[in-house]
Amino acid sequence: MPDDTKPEGASAPEPTSEPAAKPGAEQPAPAEAQPAAEAAPAASAPEKPPAAPAAGGQPAPKPAPAAKPAAAAGAAKPAAAAAPKAPAAMAATPWESDLTRALKEEFGDQILDFSSYAGQNFLAAKPEAAVPILESLKEIHDFDYLVDVTAVHWPDKPEPFEIVYIVYSFARNERIRMKIRIPEGYKPRTAVPVHLTANWLEREVYDMFGVEFEGHPDMRRILLPEEWETFPLRKENSILKMDQHWVQENLGIESGQ
Amino acid sequence: MADTFLDSTELVLNMGPQHPSTHGVLRVILKLDGERVLGTECVIGYLHRGVEKIAENRTWQMFAPYVDRMDYVAAVSNGLGYCLAVEKLLGVEAPPRAQAVRVILTELNRIASHLLWLGTHALDIGAITPLFYCMREREYVLNIYEKYCGARLTTHAFRIGGLQYETYEGFEKECLEFCDLFEKKIDEYEELLTGNRIWQQRLTGVGILTAEDCKEYGVTGPMLRAAGVKWDIRKAQPYSGYEKYDFEIPVRENGDTYDRYIVRMQEMRQSVRIVRQAVADIPAGPILAKVGKVIKPPVGEAYVSIEAPKGELGYYVVSDGSTQPYRVRIRPPSFVNLQALDKMCRGALVADVVAIIGTTDIVLGEVDR
Amino acid sequence: MKQLLRKVFLADLIEGLRVTFRHQHPKQIVTEQYPQERPKIGERYRGAPRLNINPDNGETLCIACDLCALACPENLIVVGWERNPETKKKELVTFTYDISRCMFCGLCEDACPVDALELTQDFEMASYTREGAILDRQTLENGLLPTRYRF
Repeated sequence: MPDDTKPEGASAPEPTSEPAAKPGAEQPAPAEAQPAAEAAPAASAPEKPPAAPAAGGQPAPKPAPAAKPAAAAGAAKPAAAAAPKAPAAMAATPWESDLTRALKEEFGDQILDFSSYAGQNFLAAKPEAAVPILESLKEIHDFDYLVDVTAVHWPDKPEPFEIVYIVYSFARNERIRMKIRIPEGYKPRTAVPVHLTANWLEREVYDMFGVEFEGHPDMRRILLPEEWETFPLRKENSILKMDQHWVQENLGIESGQ
Repeated sequence: MADTFLDSTELVLNMGPQHPSTHGVLRVILKLDGERVLGTECVIGYLHRGVEKIAENRTWQMFAPYVDRMDYVAAVSNGLGYCLAVEKLLGVEAPPRAQAVRVILTELNRIASHLLWLGTHALDIGAITPLFYCMREREYVLNIYEKYCGARLTTHAFRIGGLQYETYEGFEKECLEFCDLFEKKIDEYEELLTGNRIWQQRLTGVGILTAEDCKEYGVTGPMLRAAGVKWDIRKAQPYSGYEKYDFEIPVRENGDTYDRYIVRMQEMRQSVRIVRQAVADIPAGPILAKVGKVIKPPVGEAYVSIEAPKGELGYYVVSDGSTQPYRVRIRPPSFVNLQALDKMCRGALVADVVAIIGTTDIVLGEVDR
Repeated sequence: MKQLLRKVFLADLIEGLRVTFRHQHPKQIVTEQYPQERPKIGERYRGAPRLNINPDNGETLCIACDLCALACPENLIVVGWERNPETKKKELVTFTYDISRCMFCGLCEDACPVDALELTQDFEMASYTREGAILDRQTLENGLLPTRYRF
């Protein structure tokens, strides 16, 4: 309550200008890694423009028109000041370890980049490489527990769906994410042969985003009724726009709102 | 077995969604050969409220009360996971005092959640008495919540960056009183159940999941530990200051329903231990980190998971730099654990299905979200 | 051997029954006889909302800043105000609070800069109609009337 009554600028977020207050372990040295983040995706992006990872510092063309000036400003300012006040693209830093080198060797340019944000590592891969990478992670690198499969919808990007796989290794006590970006209508291969967990998780992705998985044993809706028409977590479906047709037919009420 | 009887046919039995032993609105379609289960199919979604969509239409703070409504018997754990995830995005950490209080409340919540599980699980098996005792003890925890934050079940106890409420007078004393009382009560439950021959016969060897199965199905929490994997996020990747406390991870070998029972009972004892340590040493200081009135995390994403009473509860949050979440993905332990139901039920008897659903410890609010 | 004896003499069952019978003692009764016996409600309990009035002059404490309406996740608070031409201050005219959608998260209470809106310890908010759950300014200031049962 005392914090609320303070007349500090109600609209501006608390200026986190004191980097000392930030937990050191959470953000692995953003200061010196910042310029590298700007450079790395810029190098990789020209080769594969459609598959530019969202993770990288390269601003995507449409969704963030303010991205370019912000990134430029961030580069111009001292890097330490730019890190907490993130530009419009995620200020990810490159991630390098024995694992990334091994994966790089095995998959080459199938993996677009390795990055790290807020102390969490993730890699972006080409969609067709997702399942082989998961398999390699499981068989060779001990990532034997698929934590989650989910998706994020970025409607303004050329490849609007970002499928996120989170895997964990009990032996290494390490959690990494793998992301693939797919265009509308693309059917990524299912991960069920590698991890049985993927069964329901992929069904949920289909249910919420309409992304079908190739070769999935049971590609049906899981939470919503089978006859439901929309995919609710797509951004074009606002919270008010739902399948009224189904509601009226099956529940006998005018609207589910 | 089916082909030894020439004219026997499979029977499809519909269990739920109104069946009391399915703990809510879970519908299980059982394929039976006589009394044996050949296969199951879960039909879920009856309680789907679109929590993830709601998140995209609320500000970061406003969404916090909604996560309480997923796993409503462990609302505090849900809130903790969400707050930690957003704090990770913001790059702030709750002050030490807030962390200690968070640990106390979350561990009390683990006890409350396990108590409800124990009561209903025993009720499913046929022991009615423990339910009343468990509810009675759970009431103490809920009273502490009520006094602390003003709500009993869907508490909204934590805020992003720390706590909203200072501890009330006598908070420490009441927590310690509860610990003293509760340790005796666990002995009582164990007297009632652990040695009981009916209880043992109903649970031993039922619904076995080996460690490999658990990993394959992504099963976490007490079920994984009952299968012999000593893994607890509180130890593996400590959060909210858990590394300061001294506790053990109870592990069993067989991975059957009885072992899960034992693991959960031991976990409650360990929770009491953590509460004692945390209450003894609540640091002084502020309870809310400087996060400002409007929470606007930088563009980015984070996955933070905590050890909820049911398993790994993860939040994958994506921010586009505005005051509203771009995406909040909740990785519910119940949902993933429930997937292994089919594996556990195959070959079991119908009566065992009830025990297996009970031991999975699902909360449908979390499965369906 | 000991195991066998325990089994024969039903020791495990008797142990359990001992616990059950210990609880037969009247001192062990914890049931609250609710309507007759009022439960003890925590001081911070978040129940029915109340709009506080200044006890000195009987005027509302609300300054019509609309912060509670902005903080509410369910958008259930509507603050109606008009500007007093003399003092140029905002004055509260209407205030509606829809408890049928309220989840008692307490965010409005936290947002209020003058402690005008408060969630009280009153937890009996049942009504027979949906309209009865929409509280207007008068109800909020006077407090909820006790429910009159229709039987």
